[in-house]
This record gives sequence, C-alpha cells and structure tokens, in this order.
Amino acid sequence: MIHCENLTKKYSDGFTALNSVSFETTGRINTLIGRNGAGKTTLTRILSTQLMPTSGTASINGMDITKDVDQIRRSIVSIPQEASPLGILTAQEQVGMFLIGRGHSFRSAKEESRIALESLGLGDFRNLPADKLSGGMKRKIFVAMAIASRAETVFLDEPTTGLDPISRIEVWSAIREIESEIFLTTHYMEEAQDLSEHVFLLEHGNIAASGTVKDLLKPFSGKVRVESHTEIPDAIKIGAMWISYVTADETSEYLGKGCTIKPISLDDVFISRGVEVES
Amino acid sequence: MNLRFIVSLAWSYGFRVIFRGPSYIISSMSAPLTLLFIVSILSHGTLINYALVGGFLGLIASVALSSSGDAAFMRLQLRFQDLYVASKVSPSDYMIGLTLSYVIFSLPGIILYAILGAIFHIFTLGAVLALIGIMCFLVVGTSSISFIVSSSIKHVRNVWGIAGIMSVIMTVLPPTFYPYEYIPKWALYALSATPVTPAAVLAQWAFGLSPPMINELYIFVIETIIYFSMARYLTRWREN
Repeated sequence: MIHCENLTKKYSDGFTALNSVSFETTGRINTLIGRNGAGKTTLTRILSTQLMPTSGTASINGMDITKDVDQIRRSIVSIPQEASPLGILTAQEQVGMFLIGRGHSFRSAKEESRIALESLGLGDFRNLPADKLSGGMKRKIFVAMAIASRAETVFLDEPTTGLDPISRIEVWSAIREIESEIFLTTHYMEEAQDLSEHVFLLEHGNIAASGTVKDLLKPFSGKVRVESHTEIPDAIKIGAMWISYVTADETSEYLGKGCTIKPISLDDVFISRGVEVES
Repeated sequence: MNLRFIVSLAWSYGFRVIFRGPSYIISSMSAPLTLLFIVSILSHGTLINYALVGGFLGLIASVALSSSGDAAFMRLQLRFQDLYVASKVSPSDYMIGLTLSYVIFSLPGIILYAILGAIFHIFTLGAVLALIGIMCFLVVGTSSISFIVSSSIKHVRNVWGIAGIMSVIMTVLPPTFYPYEYIPKWALYALSATPVTPAAVLAQWAFGLSPPMINELYIFVIETIIYFSMARYLTRWREN
C-alpha cells in the first residue's frame, strides 16, 4: 500500500511539480492519470526513491521513503518512463543482469529471466540483441524484469508511450501477469480504464479526483458526449471543437447537424474539467 | 558491495561489446595508433618508444574519458541508471562495474600495444609491473572524472561533444606521446590536472626514457584519491 501525505516537490528553478499531494492506494493496480507535465513522473520517482521530495511524507507498505530507503529498494521495482534496453545485450542478459542487481545468483538470474521472458512470449527472441527487437518487445523486457523480480510493489511509468496499438495491447496483457501491487502512470485513458482498479487524476501537481473507474464515470451516468466543429451553447471548447454532455433523449437535437455522438469514457473526466486529452 | 552485479555489468558492457560491436574497438584504438604513426614519422623513429608507452595510457584514458558520454547517455536517454537506483545496487557498485567494463573493453588495444612493444623490445619486468600499476591508477582517476562530468550533463545533445573534447584534450595534449621535458615546467604542472600527465611522466621514467620526477608521483596518487572521492559524492544517484 502506498500512502502519501502533503507530498511537495519544488525544483531549484522555482517550478512546483507536486503541490501537497495526499492519497492512499487500495487496489492491486493503481493508475495515476494526467497530462504530460502534470507531475506523474516526479511522483513516481519520489515514491520509488529516485528523487527526494521537498516536503511531505510518503510510505510504501509502511516503510518511509526517506528513512527506510534500503528496505524499500529491496521490495520495489521501478521501470522508468521511456526506459530503453542496451541494444547490444540480449533480452535474457538484460533481465538477468537486473535480477543479479537485486541479489539473485547467476544461475537463478538466468533461469528466472528465461521463465519470465517465455511467459511474455519472448522465449524465441530472448537470445537476440535488443536492437533487433520491436518496440513492444523492448518494453516487454522491462515487464519481464518486474515479473521475475517478484517485488512487492512495481512502479511502471508510462509503459506504453510511443507503442503502436497492437504492442500496447501486448504490453497490457504482460502487465496483468505481474502479481505485485502495481502503480502505473499513463496519459492513455484507455489504458487506465482497461487495467486499473483505482485511478488518481493528477492535475497541475495536485490530485484532482480519485476512485474506481466506475466512481469517476458516475457524474456522466446516462449521458453521451457530443462533439461538434460548430458552436454548441454551454459546451466546453477545446481547440476548434465544442464538446457537450447530454442525456440519450437529448441527442436527437444534434442529429443531422454534423455532430458526432460518442459513449462516455475516462477521457471525459479530463474533458469535463476543460483539459485536453491525448489519444 | 554487490560483487555479482559488478561482474555482471563489467562482463556485459565490456566483454560482450568487444564481440558484438567490434567497430567500437577499432574506433578506440584509432587515435593512439594514428599518433604512434605520426610521432614515428616526424621523429624519424627516435620517439617511437615514447609513443608506444604513451599508447597504453592514451588508449585506456581515452576509453575511460569518452565513457562519460556513455554514462550520461545511459542515464538520460536509456534511463539505465534509474532502473538500478530503485534496487539493491549502490552508486559505487554501478561505478566500479562500468569502470571495469572499460578496462575489459580496452583489452584488445592493450594486447595490440603489448605485441608492438615486444617487437620493439621496450619491456623489462620492472617496467611492465610499473606500467600495470600506473594504468590501474589511471583508469580509476579518468573514470572518476568521467562520472563527475557525466553527472553534470543535463541534456543528451551535449553528451558526445563534451566526451569528445575531454578525451582529446586530456589524453593528446599531455606528454603522452612525446617526452615530458619538451614542455616548460609550468605547462607540465598545468597539464597535471589530468591524471594522464603524471601517468605519462611516471611511465617514461619507469621505461628509462626520461629522468625521474618524483613530484608527479605525489600528484598522481593525490589527484586519483581526490577525483575518486569527488566522483563518489558528486555522482548523481538519488536526485534532489
């Protein structure tokens, strides 16, 4: 369980990346959603002991992130955003070296890395240098590290950024193989909706909303999204588009007027707050 | 100390690279071999022993110094270092592992120079032992500088430029490939800021090529300790 209390991070240039963030995780897969620059990576790096907070406290399974650093590091795995394997080493060598770093013997590292890579469908590719693997396969190497380490808590910072849709689905399946508590960050709402038990919305360094996907979508119950390139009264304007939320009965007003009607998704939690989402 | 990780990193990033990326080996040897050729031609062969002895030092120092680019690239672009911060690996384990990988990576060049040295009959047992000792200190000093510099690089775009400048200035400018008596004392002391200078002076002394200069021995030992200590404290691990 991850617990944060008034966690704040101010950089030396005066930029406040996190502003008194407080939350507690409850589910097995917890997802932090937010736009680029919202503070997701900063929060993940602080929780995984890579970055010192300016103030506030946080703990992982009761261990303080500033006082119990060695204990925490033994019990977590943190896969950084846009981490890339060393192209010259094979998938098995990379996972093996990671496990050795975590205290495995050479033999155990070799065996465990083989099992993890095979479980992710990389068995036939495990002895190829990483620079010969596809983007999705490269990301799976890191997921294999998380699986093989059997850490209590796994931090995955934007694990599917830049991947094509098929590779993303493959990596999602791989993430489900991890048995630990997972703290995932993403700006893909589909990813959060598909994987998470609990979602935290980070906005300008603050937790703006949290709950299960169902909780977050509750305000939109019975509604649909209407998008239009021409003005709609009382709609939210994002870029050159107007977006409004209406009940199913009200959609008839918009038919035949060049509007698009879409079902509600986690995107709308962002959009309703006047924040553009990336897709 | 996580010895298994040190061995694993050194083996993977040193030995594997030799076989899977041989062009890097040729690249690391090209500068010392080119300078050996130029010095031999310009001196009509009289300074070939200096260039051979200097080649050992130039090779290992240039590999270690240019590795600042690698270390920064691995930290900033590959996020390789971040992966290990949140684990049982300590900054010292990481630094020692990478340093040993550079030593392993330099081995083909060292073997080539050893063959050339044997052909030109420059070796005595005492000189070889002294050279090994000097090279060990040199790799610690230059790798430490490398880690200090790589930690201060904030943008990937600066990585290779800074590494290239350091490698050339700190290995070619000092009296690595020519007698140290050729430059004025003040210049020698100024150049002693890079560990390659005292290493070259001591190596020339050990091989009987130049007269002894005991001050450079003290400088070499003290600055190696200072650079190593600075690297331990200045290398970014958990960031503030």
